Amino acid sequence: MHTEQEIFERVRQVLVELFELSPDSIVLDAHLYTDLDIDSLDAIDLILELKQITGRKVQPEQFRHVRTVRDVVVAVRELMQNETAA
Amino acid sequence: METRFRNRLDRGSRRFGTGLSFVTFGLGGTLLSLTLFPFLRLISPNRAEAQRRIGAAMRRSMGRFIWFMKSLGLLTYELHGLERLERPGQLIVANHPTLIDVVFMVWLTPDACCVVKRALWHNPALRWPVIWAGYIPNSEGAQLVEDCARILKSGRSLLVFPEGTRSIPGQPLSLKRGAAQVALASGADVLPVTIVCDVPFLTKGSRWYRVPARRPHFTITVGQAIAAQRYAPAGEANSIAARHLTAKLATHFSRGIEAVMRVPPGATLTNPPEVQSASL
Repeated sequence: MHTEQEIFERVRQVLVELFELSPDSIVLDAHLYTDLDIDSLDAIDLILELKQITGRKVQPEQFRHVRTVRDVVVAVRELMQNETAA
Repeated sequence: METRFRNRLDRGSRRFGTGLSFVTFGLGGTLLSLTLFPFLRLISPNRAEAQRRIGAAMRRSMGRFIWFMKSLGLLTYELHGLERLERPGQLIVANHPTLIDVVFMVWLTPDACCVVKRALWHNPALRWPVIWAGYIPNSEGAQLVEDCARILKSGRSLLVFPEGTRSIPGQPLSLKRGAAQVALASGADVLPVTIVCDVPFLTKGSRWYRVPARRPHFTITVGQAIAAQRYAPAGEANSIAARHLTAKLATHFSRGIEAVMRVPPGATLTNPPEVQSASL
């Protein structure tokens, strides 16, 4: 129901709105901490926002290994799959 | 020729003085941690009162240390707007060009708690002073912001160096947003303090014995308080407000540094432009 592309566009939109990033800078391989200047407090805001979007409980542990935009997209997709499975 | 000799002599004596200052600081800090600080804890009814007294003793010691360095001819300084530091419960943020910025700031600020480098808890000379004074180790994350906000709400001022470490000479300042987050979370006013040292002195990555060609002059300017809440209009995400406030601080610091550096103290129009390598 959600293609990878759709999830990516949504994640991009969230990043632009939350952190005033230029949409062009958000590519799948962009590194959150080094390329996009997102710090640990921003990461908390990001996780809260993703919780809203997916409507699922998000455990911070699920995002511990997230480093790049691609990792975020994968994590969101997994969350959504769990949703349909549940 | 004679001037050159005098310069070299001056430089040599400042190198010796700098070494002496390091040793004095380390020994003094250790000694106070073993004598005065525990004594103050013993005679205080509770921990908060002990920290207040230890903080005051620390403040005096730092003042004496600056006086010591000044007397050895290692530095000169000028201070502006100090009265603004007196108001309690402010978030005091300073840029961080040299190793001794925190010494100046602790001396100049009444009743302040400091966020200092986590590594100091592993430094043999500084470990006990920072523990006795109840300073906060810097770290990433929400817990630090909460701890800092609580201190501000209790009415103590909090001193933070938003760069997180000393500035890299010749590069634009890079501020972390934690300080802005603390301001937004606590509602405290932000008081920016611009520290300028006119020559590279005890900078990040430099060896202490590489003393500058001439005596460094510090200009410390306390700016006007910034109401952090102005940066958090209703409905705006915290992440955005923190970015705007941090950008404001970065501009404040870089303008302040520029303004001081444009007119080097003691320089007159007849002086030739500063050529450091000439005296090497």
